[in-house]
Amino acid sequence: MNALQEQFVIEARELVRQATDNLIALERDAASPERIDSVFRAFHTLKGAAGVVELPAMSIMLHAAEDLLAGVRNGTRGLDAEIVDTALACLDQVSRWVDDFEAVRALPSQAGEDGRAMAERLRALLPGRAGQQPGLTAQNSTTKTGGGSLPEWVFRLIAAERDAVVSRMPERPFVATAISYEPLAGCFYNGDDPLQLMRQVPGLLAFHIEPREPFVALEGIDPYACNLRLQALSAADPNEIAAIFQLVPDQVRIISIPLGTLPASDAYPTLGDHALIRKVIEAQCELLRVPDRRQDFAGCVGAAARAAENALRYGQLPHLADTIRRAGALALAHRDAGPLLSALENTLVGFAGSPSTVVADGGERPDMAAASTSTRPADRVLRVSEAKIEDLVNLAGELVVARNALAYSARQVELDLGGSEVARSIQRDRDAIDRLVTELHGTVLQLRMVPMAQLFGSFPRLIRDVARQLDKNAALVTHGETTEVDKTIMDRLFEPMVHLVRNALDHGVEGPEQRRAAGKTENATISIAASRVGDRLVVEVTDDGRGIDPAVVRRKASEKQLLPPDKLSALTDEEVVDLVFSAGFSTASAVSDISGRGIGMDVVRTAMDQIGGRVSLESKVGIGTTVRLDLPLSIAMSRIMVVEAGGQLFGIAMDAVSETVRVTPDRVSIIRSNEAFVLRDRVVPIVSLAELMKLPGQKRNATAARLLVVMEAAGRIAALEIDAIRDRLDVVLKPMQGLLAGARGYAGTALLGNGQVLLVLDVKEILP
Amino acid sequence: MTVRRSDTGMVILEGACAVEDAEPLLQLLQETPAPAVEWTTCSHLHTAVVQVILASGVVPMGPCGDAWVRQWLAPELSQKGTRG
Repeated sequence: MNALQEQFVIEARELVRQATDNLIALERDAASPERIDSVFRAFHTLKGAAGVVELPAMSIMLHAAEDLLAGVRNGTRGLDAEIVDTALACLDQVSRWVDDFEAVRALPSQAGEDGRAMAERLRALLPGRAGQQPGLTAQNSTTKTGGGSLPEWVFRLIAAERDAVVSRMPERPFVATAISYEPLAGCFYNGDDPLQLMRQVPGLLAFHIEPREPFVALEGIDPYACNLRLQALSAADPNEIAAIFQLVPDQVRIISIPLGTLPASDAYPTLGDHALIRKVIEAQCELLRVPDRRQDFAGCVGAAARAAENALRYGQLPHLADTIRRAGALALAHRDAGPLLSALENTLVGFAGSPSTVVADGGERPDMAAASTSTRPADRVLRVSEAKIEDLVNLAGELVVARNALAYSARQVELDLGGSEVARSIQRDRDAIDRLVTELHGTVLQLRMVPMAQLFGSFPRLIRDVARQLDKNAALVTHGETTEVDKTIMDRLFEPMVHLVRNALDHGVEGPEQRRAAGKTENATISIAASRVGDRLVVEVTDDGRGIDPAVVRRKASEKQLLPPDKLSALTDEEVVDLVFSAGFSTASAVSDISGRGIGMDVVRTAMDQIGGRVSLESKVGIGTTVRLDLPLSIAMSRIMVVEAGGQLFGIAMDAVSETVRVTPDRVSIIRSNEAFVLRDRVVPIVSLAELMKLPGQKRNATAARLLVVMEAAGRIAALEIDAIRDRLDVVLKPMQGLLAGARGYAGTALLGNGQVLLVLDVKEILP
Repeated sequence: MTVRRSDTGMVILEGACAVEDAEPLLQLLQETPAPAVEWTTCSHLHTAVVQVILASGVVPMGPCGDAWVRQWLAPELSQKGTRG
């Protein structure tokens, strides 16, 4: 790709995005003239760019869009949802073509037709323009619907040459294509020889040539102005034909003809042909339905699949043939004819329903979206409703639970029948399922991953508005737009982020005079950066404002009596600054419209807690503040440790566990009537989980090592004494519901493999 | 010369008739009352030449030397011719 083409790809994507954003904004807000202008300009520039890299199909389409938008701009056509929809569809088409162009430096062979169809759709919306191109009705949509709505010239062409067409029809089912080519008047000057293109059309069935405008008397004729219309009928694939005419997509129309439209040849009745295929498939079904075919199973299934596949290929139904082949392979692999039989039966249903729809499957060019699923390079997008994804995620989650159940059963088997063939075989299968389920679950969760750019998108506007309200100047800088995060997390992240950004503008950023006095630029910078650290998402909101003064926070905290004076004075500066996240703390001297109601930062911490995130703050007086959000990339699954204490099982979220240690009794000392031990120069208090839960504690052997789970949460460290570690599991954590919803100390429940409900502890709440 | 008038006044197309032959052909046809065109030794016809033939309403004589034209275009031209 040369520099020009590369530039085009980049610019086109940018323009598409710009036009899309503006179109959506147009629809959401009032239709401001500036917005319409901006959309119009984007289309105009796109059209120009398409011309430069010589993509006539794209130019034609964009030209029509430009005309439509010009109509909207000068008021002859009001903007409505239909226009926005069509314009967006047009932009989608441009995006797909740009992808194609990037991959193979050319548009797909049917681009001319697609572009023309889209242009017609656009023109149809413009009052008074629809009738200007008679005959050019949206034939692309009619190609699928069967004979009834084909352009009239196609029927004329068939009727004029009926017998010749029948005699030339190939001795096999085929795809019929009609071509109408109207070369430009000046085409001879470009060195075109339109007939030369027609000569290249394979499988020609009929040909017709006529003047576009009736010829005038011989004296008045300009021999170098082309006034011809060339029409032809071919037994070749439309894509093949489109490739021949790819340099003149604006002058040619290529239309697929459903087989039934053509006169039937006695030698080869096409519909009868499908009846034959149906019979072949029915015979295979019967064969497969015969029970108890143990001995020659592979031969029988293989033969049935091959016979049906060949019949379908013969009938030009390659998609169905492929389906059958895959079903056959599956049936052989599982030694079960079921998959093949049901695939065959499904195929028969298709035949019985409507012969023409089956024909369409292989014979016609399906619509644009479906046509290229297999051929299009990466970056294709399939829009699926969020609810469906949600269902899938839940199912995958349940599957993980079922897998855990299987693991449990497998362990039971191992205990009962250790070393036996059955135990080994179950273990092997369990491992395979384990791997597949993990992979499946990961892939399903990937479906919900969205780039942070979606979240960042709303902040430039927010910052502009808030800054204007406060008479401050601030610009936004974002990093890590491409970082992907679970949609659920992103949704929950939005509100806290808004609080943070508002806070930064309100409390962090100084007014212009103050900034000048401090030797800073008048324009403040707010930066939002997202990055992935391991399996966590880190979002940092940074401002270059005045920073948080620990002394001020200390004063406010004591005024508001957030902490007893002795505790407050014991805190380090960092710990004091952290108090801004406490409920009821607000440093704003006056309650403003923006923030400062004393809820902002506290909301952030609560929201982060709910999704397993952490928030921390770093501030330098006079330099600025950075708030750091550290969240899981996905919340659907939690990794927990199953521990036993006082004869009961409990779950502990793994992200709270920093390590597990065994300490001998001599390392444990009593500090103020509490047990504690020293771990890497830190004194760690020991808490017995059984005592915390008011369960009967086990009699402890005075010399045995004690098992401790060291946990850190909310800046505190403690070691939970337990009797045993039972398992490590990925679980779907369900929040406490009903009567238990208010129970403190529990993060939720999880279903164990054996059906037992496991209580998962909320470490932050139970730690002293 | 790919387009010429024979001694008998017949317009003859020979060899590969290119786009630039359209104008001389048109001239010959204009000059000749009730012209006759012969194309049996013509190996290739350019669209512009075909258009002139079509516009003149003349049905060339004999099988065309250009096989594609013979199969696909000649029947069309003769239909036009008989229709007038």
